[in-house]
Amino acid sequence: MACVAKKCGVRFQPPSVILIYKEKDKFRRRVMPVRNFSQFSDCGVAAEQLKNNPRHKAYLEGVSLRQLEKLCRLLKGHLGGESLAESLGKLQQEETIDPEEDMNKLDDEELAKRKSIMDELFEKNRKKKDDPDFIYDIEVEFPQDEQLESCGWDAESCEEV
Amino acid sequence: MAERPREDVPSEAGAEEAVKIICLGDSAVGKSKLLERFLLDGFRPQQLSTFALTLYQHHARVDGKAVLVDFWDTAGQERFQSMHPSYYHKAHACIMVFDVQRKVTYKNLSNWYKELREFRPEIPCIVVANKIDADMKVTQKSFNFARKLSLPFYFVSAADGTNVVKLFNDAIKLAVTYKQNSGDFMDEVMQELESFDLEKKSEDLSDQEDSSPEEKPPSS
Repeated sequence: MACVAKKCGVRFQPPSVILIYKEKDKFRRRVMPVRNFSQFSDCGVAAEQLKNNPRHKAYLEGVSLRQLEKLCRLLKGHLGGESLAESLGKLQQEETIDPEEDMNKLDDEELAKRKSIMDELFEKNRKKKDDPDFIYDIEVEFPQDEQLESCGWDAESCEEV
Repeated sequence: MAERPREDVPSEAGAEEAVKIICLGDSAVGKSKLLERFLLDGFRPQQLSTFALTLYQHHARVDGKAVLVDFWDTAGQERFQSMHPSYYHKAHACIMVFDVQRKVTYKNLSNWYKELREFRPEIPCIVVANKIDADMKVTQKSFNFARKLSLPFYFVSAADGTNVVKLFNDAIKLAVTYKQNSGDFMDEVMQELESFDLEKKSEDLSDQEDSSPEEKPPSS
């Protein structure tokens, strides 16, 4: 079956995931109820159940587990009384680093979360030892002369140091 | 201290010199990733979880001499905003790291530096701006913290490797030079105090053992 997922969203009442997909030049809509789901459910598990559901499996091939989990998080937020904007804000916040946050003050779990977000970029930019263009010793000079624009982080602390 | 790391005697065969280099900086600035990039597979970290500390050992050559390097890396201890004095004890150089994406880690450098100088007023200290791969534009900007204190300053990336090897090799050279030339006054005082302390203890012990108040020749 040639079906290409185009968009995937969520409907609060009754709790369902909605998929817009293309099949033989036609756009179709599939409504997949998320069953036995409450504000206390585990979104990871719910997403997996949906993705592995024999009736939906073929349609959801092009939808990542991560996206399904996020959609379930929206459902869960709604069932817990959050507004959509609040739930979206929370999701957004969990995926970005607040540059002002003092991570020295986080507990292990929270710190691990931040590290895993930053690790994504690290892995993306990473040159591994086994890469064909890997060079062990890369030296690049970045002269720090007076003409450079300030980083802007020194300003308030001129007298501090 | 049961897990007390070795004294700085070149204990492993072949090493003519041994130095200790410590890493400082906030949580998640990439200290461990820098070390791992430098050592690649060669690293065998030793976790001393009781002290929230990771040790990496490295064999280097400086001017033809075999040098055993102990890199000390924090393992969460920085979260107390301060390190245990033993972390600084007999360190010969310091690598101080911040994340160019997070201002607060740059701001905190002055706290780390202050603490470092309380314990090690003289050792070489390198300031490191990590994660330049995230935003290369920062390398076109000036960071005055290092310049004000006349400290060496490096832009590096643990991800793509820019200037990582140079950083560590330079740190090792600085540490060796420091150890050989400093005649660090405090180190000597500490050594005197330690041996003095031992002598005193052994005298105390012997006093308890035999009650005769005979004078013993000082054991040196």
